[in-house]
Amino acid sequence: MSLFVLRRIAIGIVMLFALSVLVFVLLRLAPGDPIDAYINPSAPLSPADLATLRERLGLNASLPVQFFGWLRAALSGDFGYSIQRAGVPVLPLVIGRIGPTILLMFTGLAIAIALGIAAGIVGAVRRNSATDVGLSVAAFVGISSPAFLTALLGLYAFSVLLHWAPSGGMLTPGAAFSYGDLAAHLVLPAVLLAIGYAALIMRYMRASLLEVLNQDYVRTARAKGVREFWVIVKHAVRNALLPIITLIGSTIGIAIGGAIFIESVFNWPGMGLLLVNAVETRDYPVIMCATLLTGASVIVVNLLTDLTYAAVDPRIQVA
Amino acid sequence: MQRRTFGRLLAAGVLLAGTAFAAPSFAADKTITGGFDVGPGGFPGNFNPLAATAGFTWLSTYYEPLVIYSADLSKIEGDLASSYTVSPDQLTYTFRLAKANWHDGQPFTSADVKFTLALAMNAKTGSINAARLKDIDSVETPDPETAVIKLKAANGALLALLTQIMMLPEHALKDKDPASLATSTWWSTTPIGTGPFKWVKYVSDQYVELAASDNYRLGRPKVDHLIDRYFANPAAAVAALKAGEIQFTYVDADDAKTFKDDKQFQVIAGDSWVVNYIGFNEKVDLWKDKRVRQAVMYAIDRKSIIDSLYGGAAKLANCGYVAPQFVPEGLNDYAYDPEKAKSLLKEAGWDKINGDKPIPWVTYYNSPQVNNIMAAIQAMLGQVGINVQPRAVDTPTYNGIVMKADGNWADFPLVYAGLQNGPNPASLNQGLNAAQIPPAGANTMRVDMPDLTSALNAAMGETNADAVNAKWQAVCKVMNDELPWGTMWVASRYGVASSTLKDFVWTPAPAGGPFAAHPEKWDIAP
Repeated sequence: MSLFVLRRIAIGIVMLFALSVLVFVLLRLAPGDPIDAYINPSAPLSPADLATLRERLGLNASLPVQFFGWLRAALSGDFGYSIQRAGVPVLPLVIGRIGPTILLMFTGLAIAIALGIAAGIVGAVRRNSATDVGLSVAAFVGISSPAFLTALLGLYAFSVLLHWAPSGGMLTPGAAFSYGDLAAHLVLPAVLLAIGYAALIMRYMRASLLEVLNQDYVRTARAKGVREFWVIVKHAVRNALLPIITLIGSTIGIAIGGAIFIESVFNWPGMGLLLVNAVETRDYPVIMCATLLTGASVIVVNLLTDLTYAAVDPRIQVA
Repeated sequence: MQRRTFGRLLAAGVLLAGTAFAAPSFAADKTITGGFDVGPGGFPGNFNPLAATAGFTWLSTYYEPLVIYSADLSKIEGDLASSYTVSPDQLTYTFRLAKANWHDGQPFTSADVKFTLALAMNAKTGSINAARLKDIDSVETPDPETAVIKLKAANGALLALLTQIMMLPEHALKDKDPASLATSTWWSTTPIGTGPFKWVKYVSDQYVELAASDNYRLGRPKVDHLIDRYFANPAAAVAALKAGEIQFTYVDADDAKTFKDDKQFQVIAGDSWVVNYIGFNEKVDLWKDKRVRQAVMYAIDRKSIIDSLYGGAAKLANCGYVAPQFVPEGLNDYAYDPEKAKSLLKEAGWDKINGDKPIPWVTYYNSPQVNNIMAAIQAMLGQVGINVQPRAVDTPTYNGIVMKADGNWADFPLVYAGLQNGPNPASLNQGLNAAQIPPAGANTMRVDMPDLTSALNAAMGETNADAVNAKWQAVCKVMNDELPWGTMWVASRYGVASSTLKDFVWTPAPAGGPFAAHPEKWDIAP
């Protein structure tokens, strides 16, 4: 087990290095740099003025010098300063955004898991009923709806028209912190984030449970006179959950992508919003740091998924 | 029965949840919350006025310049300078300073003026105006209430530039290394200004909060707090405005229409002071023949585009300006005439120059409105045999393409862009004067027309206020004749304010102004 973990960690480090090289090169290949992002084309500065600004930021150095300078500093924990936020160190900035993203993602995932599993069970148990068909149609709509569309429609319906939830942000500007205020701002983006995943989980859960319900041990349990409720809950659902665990773990990366849309639409101050702003303004240090931390989190979550899988199903061993 | 009971419980739960999730409101304090940094005049996240290329609407609520544009942008008037005089040779500017205090109670003096201008002239501070202020020879402080700026050469753009130089406190910044100011956190943690509001806090990417300054020289502001809320885009700000969470924001033209007949809001329209143009890259052989450039103008039904896609909210531009004092009589109006366009192209030998080969047409505008405009122009040009292919990119990509001194001309043979054309007409010089071709300046289309450069130099060097308009009219005439650009229009821009706001002043000024908005007079109905 420990050898497996060590090997996965080593592979993870290599992957992170490759990711950093890839992102660094892609950023430099893209036209425009942080200074180009700084300038309004309707009121431009001269290239000579821009060169002075680039010199100050070290953007005139060769690419290998810039990359290895960044890498050396990053290995010692110094990810530099944000270019677009004067004087703000990148690492605390990015770490400060992890909390809001985790809060949004995990609230969304929790809602999605609860809704998806419950709907999947209902669909499987009442197979081909009107309820099952209705849930399946809803799931297809949920899976087919891109996150940005869901977010915009939800924003318009629940904030602009119905005034049920704030239109964005994490807390009311200027107001003292309260959990109620935080919950008020969290509920709409979390539910909208959950829709797609709930639909996906529902479909997987339904299929998995239908398969399990046809297994011999389920038939045996029924033959022994176990009540149907306990057959489903104790014997079928637990086994049907295995692929769902894999699904949740392997879609964390996709969930982060969904969170980026949701955070942008709702101005939720998480990693997604930070990354979008950083890409729009070519804030290289922020992009590098945020990408690496995101990549690291995906690698860690995948590792944890493998370990959880082994823990849930004793037949599986990692080595 | 059980189902009915369950339904009732569910309904009660939803209602309770709605009550619990209702956003808290401010208690007794009066607060105005707005999207003051939304749109092209905003610069969210920048708090260093030395480095500001925009965002002056917000910056000027807690900082102040010596002089400022009037609210209608028609003239420059005193702000921290209660009055000023300019010597006949235009080389000496004398400012009498208002009696004002910094937010920490220290008096504002001429030493602060000298200190601020020294910082603004030092590129190491992150100042973007260092090169523009190079004509300043010295700043003298004969007494605490008087500051005298002496120039090496007359500069007709100096006062306009000074409107964007926010005064900074010497006593708070003198011990900091000027080179450290560019990355200092002072700007976003403990800044001190002289404006009607003082700094409270910045919550990263969320909002900035200010509080009324009790010792403001023109009286304590009527509202207690002013909040600048950040949004990812104007549409999100519109949602917050309609949801009643903010009282003001810039809005796109299409959104402005949705507020038109709503009595809960007031739509504020104004000139954008940006002329939109089709830029012909003069390094590309396609546009060398003037008849081709003329054909482009005749092929485009600008009036129909203004009527249908701008809803009439734009002014036709037959040169770089639409302000009447800069536009002479007798300009060619290039009225829509596709047959004339075809004829001109035939005379010029367009078949041999390019024929129907696609021509990349680059823009940094990404709004649906501009997408539609470019599609309409693409169709109109296609009808006369010019095959343009619109390509919208983001701002850094656009700047990265067009600002390179040794650029790949094939990447941008044609652009759709805008350039600030006022309130000071000199702002067009940087895009048209041959002396401003990169790397020296921002003449990105590499316009090199001797007559135009000569006219621009004459206007820029004119020190007689009575003669200067005629010089800019001459520039307009040359632009209309030579067509360095295909000038299209100057569009209106919009802000929308809640009708609960009283004495609220805003205008869509380039870079957000600053202008005399007098935030201390803004009020909000309870």
